[in-house]
Amino acid sequence: MPPFVAEVAQLVLNGIMAGTILAVPAIGLTAIYAVLRFPNFALASHATVGAFAGYVANVQFGLPIVPSVMCAFLAAGLAGVVSDEYVLKPFRAAGFITTAIASIALTIGIENLIRFGFGNELRGYDLPLMRDWRFWGLRVGPQQVQNLGIAAVAMALLFAFLAFTRTGKAMRAVADNPMLAAIKGINADVVARLVSFVGMGLAGLGGMLIGLDTTIDPLTGFRAILNVFAAAVVGGLGSIPGAVIGALTVGIGEELCLLFLSPDYRSAVGFTAILLVLTLRPRGILGARAY
Amino acid sequence: MENYLIAMAVSGCIYALMALGLNVIWGFAGMVNLGLIGFFAVGAYGTALTTLKLGFPMAAGMLTGTVLAAAAGAGVAMITARLRGDYLAIVTLGLAETIRVISSNTIWLTNGTDGLSNIAGPLRGQISPTQFNMLYLAFVATIVAVAYVLAERLRAAPFGRVLRAIRDDEQVAAVAGKDVMAFKIRAFAISAGAIGLAGALYAHYTSYIAPDLFVPLFTLYIKLALLAGGLGNNRGAVIGAFLIVFFLESTRFVIPLVPMISAVQGAALREILIAALLIVLLRYNPQGLVPERLPRLPVADAAPGKPQTI
Amino acid sequence: MTKKTLIASRRTVLKGAGALAFTGAMPAIVQAQGAPLQFGILTPLTGAGGFDGPRMLKAMKAVLDEVNAAGGLLGRKVEVVVEDDQTNPEAAVRAARKLIDVAKVPVIMGTWASAVTAAVAPLCWESKTFLTTVSGADSITLLPHQGYLIRTQPNNYLQAGKHAEFIASTGAKKVFVMSIQAPFAQPTQDRIKSVLPTKGSEMIGALIYEKDKTTYRSEVDLALKGKPDLVYLNGYAPDVTVILRDLYRAGFTGPRYAQSYAVTGKVLEALPPEATEGVITVQPSADVDSPAFALASKRLGIPEPDSYETQATDWASLVSLTVAKAKEANGTALKDNVRKICQGAGTKVYSAVEGLKLLAEGKEINYEGASGPCDFTDIGDIIDCKFRYNKITGGKPVFLKIA
Repeated sequence: MPPFVAEVAQLVLNGIMAGTILAVPAIGLTAIYAVLRFPNFALASHATVGAFAGYVANVQFGLPIVPSVMCAFLAAGLAGVVSDEYVLKPFRAAGFITTAIASIALTIGIENLIRFGFGNELRGYDLPLMRDWRFWGLRVGPQQVQNLGIAAVAMALLFAFLAFTRTGKAMRAVADNPMLAAIKGINADVVARLVSFVGMGLAGLGGMLIGLDTTIDPLTGFRAILNVFAAAVVGGLGSIPGAVIGALTVGIGEELCLLFLSPDYRSAVGFTAILLVLTLRPRGILGARAY
Repeated sequence: MENYLIAMAVSGCIYALMALGLNVIWGFAGMVNLGLIGFFAVGAYGTALTTLKLGFPMAAGMLTGTVLAAAAGAGVAMITARLRGDYLAIVTLGLAETIRVISSNTIWLTNGTDGLSNIAGPLRGQISPTQFNMLYLAFVATIVAVAYVLAERLRAAPFGRVLRAIRDDEQVAAVAGKDVMAFKIRAFAISAGAIGLAGALYAHYTSYIAPDLFVPLFTLYIKLALLAGGLGNNRGAVIGAFLIVFFLESTRFVIPLVPMISAVQGAALREILIAALLIVLLRYNPQGLVPERLPRLPVADAAPGKPQTI
Repeated sequence: MTKKTLIASRRTVLKGAGALAFTGAMPAIVQAQGAPLQFGILTPLTGAGGFDGPRMLKAMKAVLDEVNAAGGLLGRKVEVVVEDDQTNPEAAVRAARKLIDVAKVPVIMGTWASAVTAAVAPLCWESKTFLTTVSGADSITLLPHQGYLIRTQPNNYLQAGKHAEFIASTGAKKVFVMSIQAPFAQPTQDRIKSVLPTKGSEMIGALIYEKDKTTYRSEVDLALKGKPDLVYLNGYAPDVTVILRDLYRAGFTGPRYAQSYAVTGKVLEALPPEATEGVITVQPSADVDSPAFALASKRLGIPEPDSYETQATDWASLVSLTVAKAKEANGTALKDNVRKICQGAGTKVYSAVEGLKLLAEGKEINYEGASGPCDFTDIGDIIDCKFRYNKITGGKPVFLKIA
């Protein structure tokens, strides 16, 4: 491959890796939005909850990575149900922004609960570090590929759940038209709990996937949250395929910008991309609630 | 102690000015701005650069900062005119982050992450720190009072009514023959101007600004101030701002009383406490301490006092 | 301090009911009575600096505990008032206000982020409060602080120059510098770029990256494009750990060079040993024969205290000794007297307690710290220091040399 093509290809590859990891919490965010109709900023701390739950499972109980990832999903999902039920749910009547702001206060609270329990130290998973595979002048990490696999499996499971199960269909019904769903006898409370569980579970899974690549501390989720939001918004809030496309757009966009900008402008590029997309399509690439 | 209380009152006034500004677009017009710290930054840099680099007097600097912030607000309103609700929220959040990134990188202008030091303050250095604090408190309190009066008049004026109409139903307002876009732009400019002035006041008070100041957390404090005080209500905005400062500061004195915890745990506990206080306050007073009271209109109003959000 | 004042102050306390039994039970504190002396600590406990603040706090407390055990200062026990600066200048200013106006501390120790230090410094000099910091921005000591500020972190010109000399001496010919976006990034890169060629080496490139990113793969690709034989990582622990992993994955086997505060003992626990193998860490240091570092190591129970821990050790020691020397605890006395105990012809001492003993005997002292000789210029920068180099081997720092 000519060097320039290889460079671009490598950046795209890095962007796909970053974007796929980003897609997992972005799906969580967009799913919660689709059903509960507010951007839940508490996603940040739930990602951290997942990362720490996975850490406890992996390092303190010695579980391998895949079961630890499941623990991350479960712990963050349960935390999501509890925090939504007892903290955020009462706010929903007051409108989406009040709820969103309350969710920011909630996320600060949870972040500090983790800090209270675990301190600020950086922690790493018990995971051997591997050199990248190299082919055609490109490189890709086995760990990244595994993460990609985990993310892909999680997304496939979610799609299957939404498309083929009764509960999944009920969730979509509520997302599409809550009034009609209520008439049809679908219990909106149950669906709300379920979507909080799945959405925050995905956030926790995403937090752990980020942690596998880096180290974790109480700010793990906070560092990723702006990009997660960017991804969900670019793709179209409420659209799950949109979240995937948005995540890849942001992931690849942030890497490709390195071709003509210095790395210290990366996050500005992410937001310029949002602005561009939204100028052309005010409701994101895949519009609102296009399952 | 008095000096500390005065300094916190100055912080409270600066928060209050931002909350009043935010109230114009959020409370009156129902537009969500999660990027108000960006306008704060424009105001602060505007005055700092005008006074430091161009050597203009403080008043000119503050005016420049305010005007620049208002212009930025108008610009943002134009760019985001088609966006509603949550999309507007994320875009404004992103714009504020972009302003922070740009101010970190344009070293020739803003001195980058080093920040700008030695921004002048009225009579700073010629009078004692306590006197300076008192003087500045008088200054910002006057500005807040003026802003409050202006905001109240704005609220009662036809302009305020149109904004509320836009908030409650944009299409109805348009059908009624109102140029919705023009109203939005003006509301955004007024709001951003007030927030920019708050930034300028902050810069001259602390004498130092840097990109690290302009983080989303600050935006959150102001949002919470307005929500806690009562969205759409100017008195609520001011009360809420002081309440936030009270929460932030009073927790400092409570934490040392908790035995058997490390310093990090204490710091974490303080933030947990602040978050919990705010959540509880919002939970049991979803309309804020001072609910919005709409001016009496000849036509019957179905649901007075309920800030409508999308 | 004289015995007379001790006795007098004891009497005042004895008047307080219940104090008798308490002091009787704690003989070490018996000598230190009267209202405790309060030192302010303002350091990041949450936010981006939350990883570093607690270690500095621990190091300062450890020194002050020793001072208290040896009888305190001016016949009084020393206490610390700790505030979290939240790694945010606005929050830090409010916290500093409380320390200065409510607790009325003579000194604030521990600011970390340059923006926090620059925001708090004006408050300090206006209210005549002494400030000690690790912030690396060159602009900090250039502020009009009238002497109310000292910085133990060598400025960029000094340290980057020495770093470059060391790097060249390892035989590295092509050096790449990766810096986190911070005030020290550009000056460090500029200085390295100019010094390396004089020693037969060269900086083939440099980049500044954003903090808080979850991956730096593409930055690493950019760095490795020119095939450097050494990569200088000028960042903090959260980002340096990510880059170390990414460098390993990219197959880079050459030496990596970083500040010791970015590759601490905790970082070494968190990273697989293969990611850190061969990393060279650097920190400002005292002379080879100085026992100050060993004393700090023993006090903290850490084999290799990092740069921030040693600097925090030195602040607490310097402030304690200056208070004893000046015989009063206020900011102006600290500013006027700090140079009388840390430089000059006095007897060299390596810990606060040792120095206090000599001061009590009326002798002149010269404190030599764990982070260097602690001699300060008029603007509060350290004049000169050696640097301590460690090489990470099998996940443990192994002493290389002091130069």
